[in-house]
Parts: sequence; C-alpha cells; structure tokens
Amino acid sequence: MAKEIFVTGYGIASALGAGKEATLSALRERRTGIAPMRYLKTAHAEFPVGEVKMSNGEMMRALRIPEAAVATRTSLMGTIAVREALEHARIRGQSGLRVALISGVTVGGMDKTELYYLDFLENDTKNAYIAAHDCGACTEMIADYFGIFSAVQTISTACSSAANAIMRGAMLLSSGRADVAVAGGCECITKFHLNGFNTLMILDRKPCRPFDAHRAGLNLGEGAAYLVLEAEDTLRGRGAEPLCRLSGAANTCDAYHQTASSPNGEGAYLSMAKALEDARLTPKDVGYINAHGTGTENNDLSEGRAIQRVFGDSVPPVSSTKPFTGHTTSAAGGVEAVIALLALQHSFIPVNLNFEQPMPELAFTPAVTERPPVPLRHVLSNSFGFGGNDTSLIFSTL
Amino acid sequence: MSTTNDIYILAAKQISVQPPLTDEWLDDPLRYAAPYARAIDPDYRQHFAPNVARRLGKILKRALLTSRQVAAATGVTNPDAIITGTGLGCIENTEIFLNALVREGEELLTPTYFMQSTHNTISSLIAIDAGCRGYNSTYVHKGASFECALADAFAQLESRRIQTALVGAHDEMTPGYFTLLTRTGYLGRAAAGFSGEVALSMMLAAARRENALCRLRGVEMTYRPDSNALRQALLRLLQRAQCTLNDVDAVMTGVSGQQVNDQLYASVCTALFPRKPLLRYKHLFGEAYTASGLGVYAAAVCLSRQRIPAHLFAEHRRGEQRGVGHILFYSHAEGKNHSFILLSPCGK
Repeated sequence: MAKEIFVTGYGIASALGAGKEATLSALRERRTGIAPMRYLKTAHAEFPVGEVKMSNGEMMRALRIPEAAVATRTSLMGTIAVREALEHARIRGQSGLRVALISGVTVGGMDKTELYYLDFLENDTKNAYIAAHDCGACTEMIADYFGIFSAVQTISTACSSAANAIMRGAMLLSSGRADVAVAGGCECITKFHLNGFNTLMILDRKPCRPFDAHRAGLNLGEGAAYLVLEAEDTLRGRGAEPLCRLSGAANTCDAYHQTASSPNGEGAYLSMAKALEDARLTPKDVGYINAHGTGTENNDLSEGRAIQRVFGDSVPPVSSTKPFTGHTTSAAGGVEAVIALLALQHSFIPVNLNFEQPMPELAFTPAVTERPPVPLRHVLSNSFGFGGNDTSLIFSTL
Repeated sequence: MSTTNDIYILAAKQISVQPPLTDEWLDDPLRYAAPYARAIDPDYRQHFAPNVARRLGKILKRALLTSRQVAAATGVTNPDAIITGTGLGCIENTEIFLNALVREGEELLTPTYFMQSTHNTISSLIAIDAGCRGYNSTYVHKGASFECALADAFAQLESRRIQTALVGAHDEMTPGYFTLLTRTGYLGRAAAGFSGEVALSMMLAAARRENALCRLRGVEMTYRPDSNALRQALLRLLQRAQCTLNDVDAVMTGVSGQQVNDQLYASVCTALFPRKPLLRYKHLFGEAYTASGLGVYAAAVCLSRQRIPAHLFAEHRRGEQRGVGHILFYSHAEGKNHSFILLSPCGK
C-alpha cells in the first residue's frame, strides 16, 4: 500500500446471519448457513443454498423502509451491512468528511427484473424496477438510504467485485480523493445466475466440499459485507480506533478463459504474489489463507496449485468458508474479508467444513482445526471471478 | 503526493453511430432524426476469423476491435491495466438468456449466452486476446461508468503504480432495452436527441509519446453535491492540475436535447462558468450511459488537431475555432454523479 490504510469498522449479512457477532459464533460453532431453498422461487429447489434468512419485507422493516418503497433484495442486504459498518466505525452524517461508497455487484436488480420482465416489455406498471435493474442503481439505493456519501461508484468483476471495490476504496484514500471509504459488495441469489451456473454444471446438489477429492461444485450463497477504510490522518483527526490494517492488495487477470481458470492458476499466483509485494511481506509472514475455494473441480485445483507455487512446502492453514456461507458471488470478497478480519482479531482459523479426502494433485489439505500454529498477524483473502478477474487482499494486525 | 502529472491520451478509436474507426465526424458528421440509432459496424470479416466474429456479440466485437486498433496505433500491446466503463454490459446476451428463462422456463437453458452476459466479459476478453495479466477492472455505474474507469486509471498513472492503461467505454442498445429506458424516460421521450451506441477505446500513458492526442490533467467526481460541493470539486481539479478557470478555453457538456438533462447542465454552466464557450457531442453520438467516453474522445481529437468545428459549439457559430487550449469536460449522470475532466494540448 502506498499509504497505511486502516480498517475501522465492518458489517455483514450472509447465510450465517446479520451482523458480525452472528457470523463469529456460527464460524466458531461450525454451524453452516447452507440449507434447502426457502426464499428464491425456482424450479431448481434441489440445490442447497446459503440464503440470508430474512424476507425482503423483514429486511425493509428492520431498516424502517416503507413497505411500498422500491427496493431490490441485493440493495436491502447491502444497506443492512453498510449500516452495521458505519455504526461500527462511528461514522455519522454531517461529519465534514468526504465519505465514499464503493460497491461490487453483478446481478443488481435482476431479482425483480426476472419477475417483472414481461411487464417491463409490455406495460408501464413496473417502471420503477426498470430503473432499479442496473448495478449503479443498486449502489445508489444503498447510498441514498444514508445520504452521507460524496462519492458513489460500482465495480463489477463477477465474483471478485467486492474485493476490487475494497482495493479501489484504498486507492481513493491514498490518492486523497476521499477521507473515508466504505467498500465491499452485495448480491442476492437470482434465478438468472442460479440457472447460469446450473447450465455450466458447477452446482453441487450436496453441501459443497472445497479442496476435497470428491468435490462436485459450488452452493450459491447471497449476502453483503462492507469495510470502513481510512488513512491515519482521518483516523487521528476524528479520534477513531483502528481495528487492523489493509496491508496489501493486487488485482490481476488470468487471461485464459471467460469462465474457467488456467490449469496452473497463473492469475491466482500473480494476485497472491503481487499482494505480498504490495504489503512488503514474504509468504512465511502469512498465517492464514481464506481461499476462494468454490468447491468446483476447476477452481480448487487451479487455486491449490497457485497457492503451492507461492508458498512452496510451507503452506499456512488454508480454508474455504464457502461451506458456511455458500458462494456469495459479487459479495464474496467482502464476506470473506470480514471472515478474515474476524479470524485475525480473534486469532482462530475458520475451518474448511465438509472436508474428507485430500486432493491427490495437492500437497496440502485444508484446515480442519481452529487453533493457529502461531498467533495470526497477517491473513490473505482470495477472490476470483469469471473472466479471470483475480484479486487478493492482505489484512494485518496493527 | 505530487500534484504535477504528465499523463497522456496516446490514441483513441471508436465505433458509434458516426463512421467507424475514423474521425470523419469532425468535418462530415452524420445526423440522426430517429430516436433510436445503432452503431455503424465495420466489416468484421476483415478483422476477425469467421468463428470469432460469429461467437462474439456486437459489444464484444466492437470492444475488441477498437482495443486492438489503439494497441496497434500506440505500440502498447500489453498495457499495465485494462479498465472498462459500461452502463449495461453485455445486455444483448443478458436479454437472450433472460428471455429464454422467462418465456421457456428453467429447463431448456444453455450456457453460451450466460457465459458472455457478465459486465466484466469485455475487459477480460480484451485481456485474453492480448495476453494481459495486469490490473483488470470494470465499472458499472449508470452514466458515470466511463468516468469511474477513467478516474481509476488516472489515479494509478498519477501514482506511477502503472505506466499504461487501456480505458474503454462500451454500451450497446438493444431494441428491448431501448423500450425499457423509454418507459423510464431516460431515452426516447425528448423532443430532440436520440439513443446511440458506444465503443470507445483509448490508451493512456504516464509519459509523452510521439503523436499523443492530448494531456489528461485530472478527473474529479462527486455524488449528489450541493452547489458548494460541486464548486469545490471543480476547484480541486484545477488546483491539482495547477490551473485556473482562466486557462479553460471551452467547456464540453452532455446536453442531449432531453429537457431535464439539459436544464441541469444549463444551471451548472451558468453558475460555474458563465462566460465560457460551451461544446456538445451528443448531437453527434447520441445518448448512452457511456456516451461521455465519446465526448472525451471528441475533445481529445480537437486538441490534437488544434481546431474545433463549428457544429460542436452549443451556440450557433460561423466557422471553426483555430487553436485550442484547455478543454474542461463536465458531465452529470441524471443529476447524481457529477464529473469534471480536464484536457490540454500535449505541449501545455
């Protein structure tokens, strides 16, 4: 990082519940959020999913949004997570600070579009949801709930969207274009991408098994998570307490295939190596890797090989927490950044659930015990998206 | 952090409703009366293998070809960053998959259109084509998508984190989505103005090269500003570029003929730069979420050629302007995100 960037708050909503306490206790008690489908109406109810266990109406009531208001599931989850992050960091309106919101999302308002699409084409009854369809609209709905943001931008790099939003948030701070950056991502499950992933035959009908020899695909999840980032001068100026640092970040492209990862994980290797370089750390400094680990045959092999290329024969504890949350797609970089921060602050390894058989191609197996061999000082979080959009973030203790 | 910078637009190529891959619009602009116009596509068979041309949707072909051409024109074949702004991404593929889903149900779908439906397909296709493993990102924020992409590239070039960046503005407009945006009033209901399509690729570099079009002096963005915050954003831009408003020769805006849009431009221009000549570009290229990419390109071409044709002036003018200093580009996206971009000739 060109400038020291501190994390002063975070918020999360996922299948593990709304809020960091619910998330932490589920992780420590090994309670998965993946369950039979309850909120999404689809012909493919056979797939287990990591849904946020609240209806849109329940989220609207929790946020005191009038029942008749136009809202999409993605923006509601995003608003819940941003609210928690702002409260955690004690950021309020009228602070005189330039506060940016950088959000990663891909499906945006697709949950309503797929419901009302024929109306969109044929009549004027659902026009408000046309305006709510695109990704920017989703971010603006979140921003306008609070009314405190002076920069609002949206990134969409598929499943690394939130991680790239966090990286961009840090750049806004180091270039002096914002005083505080609230950065992360949100995404609800839609029929659109559930079916898309299904046509690619990468959904598992059983609970997903990342880094297992018998892994058979991913479980979709949904959620939202945001970090509050600020540089030291802002932090000191307002007397805020830093929680930890975002010490390194890198975005690379696998440049291999639109939806598949390269066999040797070139993009993943580069994103991890460059994030270490950015943080001025060496591989041995990393105490825990929160892997992208979707549970698909392709990702886990490619990522596993890339991890071995970076860390050689001293791979630190690695886990995928997607067996807890499901693959929260555009939100994953935020959800897993929060999980990495919880691990760092409480010095524990979130375990890789559902692991049984080692992958024959890899020399390491994922972490199944909570206790880190040494106290955690630096943790690395990977988020990889379609198109080979690979991003790694490193969080460090103060 | 240094406040001086030396960032250039080396080259830019467009496919739009104006003749493709040329600057002919400068002297011989095509005019459109219909509310909806599609881009004029070049003959892709001259540029791509038949299987590639068939496999890729319109937006992807346009993005790939304009990117290849700026790479060839500048010799920067492996830029350090590829950053795209797109309001709607690959909307044609999205619609095909969505239509099948809604009309035929969830049992008969195939992956082809889904695989090329995500917004980041554009940036990653360009990276795969050129073998670029550097920074790769996509901004999807309505009418500010291109400005977000440009601001990201600018900040990274300014800090010398990167030396070169390929920045794109890409939006296709399908008949279906045109209908949708007509319903919301974004397109089509205006007395004047039309909906266009955008494919614009430009190469930026942190060092001057021969034949560079112009300098990019700064990008500042602000969300839902009051008049004071908007003025502050403009002042920050000028201050960082070590300029004053006196240095600005002309202001280019996104007036389109749509009343609400144009009124907001008029009130901001009156408040912030009352005596500056105003330039326009949407009369040539139409409205689109990333139309501003074509506006910045048009301004860059004027700076490079040191002349502004009469038709770019918002007020009637006889004859072109010879000699051009700084051009300030101002855009607002439905009154929410506001952006200032400052451009100057290579020597200044």
